[in-house]
Amino acid sequence: MLTSIKKNSFENSESKKLAMMYFRVAIVLFGAQLLMGLIAAIQFIFPGFLFEIFDFSVARMVHIEALVVWMLYAMIGSVYFLMPDETGIETVGIKIAKLAFWVLTAAVTIVVLVFILVQIGPGTINSIWFINEGREYLEAPRWADIGIVVVILIFYWNVFSTYSKGKKTGIMTVLVADLMALAGLYLAGMFFTDNISIDQYWWWWVIHLWVEATWEVFVGALAAYALIRLIGAKREVVEMWLWIEVLMLFGSGILGLGHHYFWIGTPEYWWEIGALFSALEPVPLVAMFVHVLYDWGKEQGAAQAEGKEGSVAKNIPAMTWIVLNAFGNFLGAGIWGFFHTLPQVNIYTHGTQFTAAHGHLSFFGAYATILIGMMYIGLQYAYGIERMTSTFRSKMAVFLISFGVMGMTIALTIAGYEQVLIERAELGATWNAYFVAQDMPWYVQAQIWRSIMGVVTFIGFVYLVWDMLTIGKEQYREEAYIVERAATAV
Amino acid sequence: MSNKKASVWTSIPFWRRSAAWVTGVASVLLIWLTFDSISQINMGTESDLKNGIDKRVPAATVINYKIGYAMDAKRGHEVPTIGEKQLFFGKEWNEEDAKNLLHLGKLTSQSKNCMNCHTLLGNGAYYAPDLTKAWLDPAWKDGGPMQGMTGKNSVEEAISEFLQHPSQYPTHARMMPDLKITKEESMGLVAFLKHMSSIDTNGFPRNFSKTDEQFKRGGSNAH
Amino acid sequence: MLFESMTDVVPSFFAWLNQGPLTLTIFLHTVIILPMFWIYASEKKKLNKEKGLD
Repeated sequence: MLTSIKKNSFENSESKKLAMMYFRVAIVLFGAQLLMGLIAAIQFIFPGFLFEIFDFSVARMVHIEALVVWMLYAMIGSVYFLMPDETGIETVGIKIAKLAFWVLTAAVTIVVLVFILVQIGPGTINSIWFINEGREYLEAPRWADIGIVVVILIFYWNVFSTYSKGKKTGIMTVLVADLMALAGLYLAGMFFTDNISIDQYWWWWVIHLWVEATWEVFVGALAAYALIRLIGAKREVVEMWLWIEVLMLFGSGILGLGHHYFWIGTPEYWWEIGALFSALEPVPLVAMFVHVLYDWGKEQGAAQAEGKEGSVAKNIPAMTWIVLNAFGNFLGAGIWGFFHTLPQVNIYTHGTQFTAAHGHLSFFGAYATILIGMMYIGLQYAYGIERMTSTFRSKMAVFLISFGVMGMTIALTIAGYEQVLIERAELGATWNAYFVAQDMPWYVQAQIWRSIMGVVTFIGFVYLVWDMLTIGKEQYREEAYIVERAATAV
Repeated sequence: MSNKKASVWTSIPFWRRSAAWVTGVASVLLIWLTFDSISQINMGTESDLKNGIDKRVPAATVINYKIGYAMDAKRGHEVPTIGEKQLFFGKEWNEEDAKNLLHLGKLTSQSKNCMNCHTLLGNGAYYAPDLTKAWLDPAWKDGGPMQGMTGKNSVEEAISEFLQHPSQYPTHARMMPDLKITKEESMGLVAFLKHMSSIDTNGFPRNFSKTDEQFKRGGSNAH
Repeated sequence: MLFESMTDVVPSFFAWLNQGPLTLTIFLHTVIILPMFWIYASEKKKLNKEKGLD
């Protein structure tokens, strides 16, 4: 991955080069996210670990902030990567796009350093402007918010003008509309109010309408692009599915926002709206799952009928991650989300480890998987490899990361279940009830398993990085060797 | 083949138009609902409190009143109740001062990053107890273990003392770190907590008053 | 009970709709889904016309 940009295949596309730059930062931040997660997990078991030096709140803040930022990096990278293919032209403002990349990376570095070194400030508006905003997922201080908006405007301007000049495929049309909503929604999280209900009302506009609406549609567009590129799926079929997915995702996801408005002070009518619209949210995820597997099976069958051997996919590691996305999205976002989306259930599960279980599996299943898949597509292109196959390392990465995340999810679900029964249903959610539940064996053991599974995930991540650093060079050499041998044989 | 009717189900324009329609209508409905909800969760006024008008989110001066949490038979869940006048830090706060105090508290809650250990209205991290109704927690009340531990004799004084020196009053192996909270900031935070406990959260957290009754009867949940 | 009296603190259009069994949801879904029949019909007409011209 490090040498990927120097390879010749990039001579024709600066946009793809920029994409690889975004991917590299993304993978570094992914590593930071996992490390912070490990610290936080250890603190659950040994509360004295780094106490008053690097408290849980700090580790957890960087854990979730790194998550959001690495995904945004990988998403921007993916757009810069696929845009030349979709529009048929080079991205129009590549110079300013590169400048924006450096500005954003510098800003992210400063924000993270301040989070780690300064951590908290006094109760003044200056702390909100320069240290941290203290709102889960939106911790970035106000100055950085404004910076992010500027950078995103540059990005969006680039996407929009490239789209206007080039070919207007269905995938690009969906992306242009989706990214506008995605960028615009960030503004809803950029103000301060004394009213905590109003604060959380708009906070959910950003969080929910990102991860349960616009990001999901983004994933749909990426999957469509990947299917065309990897297995040669027919564009008409893929784009028709994409529009169906947009219809169902936005149809259920936008008003599904209501399931966050059950208990924050908002009126009771949200119970019904939130419950019934969000109950439909898994439907498009099933559709996406069917669509990926169906297209894959169809293309594979067609290839076999023609007497071709081996997999139809031109990039096995990427295809593996994308199929994993189809599973993970449905399981993590669909099943684990539906578990606690009805108000009758949610009154007990809201704010317990249930939410953490759902969060882990859905962010991984719905987003991490497909973004890693995009990175492999980038690597294949960078080294000009005709067919990329899985190495032992890529298989280990897939296995250990999926097994680890699934293990964490199951452990947290068990912890959440115990918490619901004892803290919420039996004792009534007081301070005392909370700690009684935290000390129960089922909870404590689940936290230990969560940490073990976190370590498994991290080892998988090491394999992933190792693979990304070597797979390109290795298979590039192999292909060259095969070509050479074929030439000398003649 | 030629006599077969055209199928709309495989027509991309049909799905594109439907997607645009559904997205558009859902967005418009959400905006409509948002106007309605925001108007209901705007903070009430001092005169609402005086006239006994129920607001989902009362004015900052609610800190001058006694707040409870009781079962409402009609709604089928617990709701906050606003009772008689009650001194807060030994005095009654005028509108301006109460507003400023709440403002300081909300700012402090964000700049000290409370939400990345605790949950507020159920949202945040799960490393420490939920703060939605923390003000009403029996542990802080007269005779409760937390109030006893700090040696103070009112809920607000006890919480304020704890927030300033949390690691001096260990309540569990998992302690709250010292966040350099000043006296003024801690008073603001207590006002913020008291105000939050008066918000109508549709019965969340459920059963909270049950523990309170148990406490009044002299029982506890200690194992 | 099929119909329950309004329990929301502040009466509003949505709270008023929220008193019967799923009435609020049925209203919202109807507003969203019903016009799709019209989109279907108009699309069908267009496609048949194209077919006829071919």
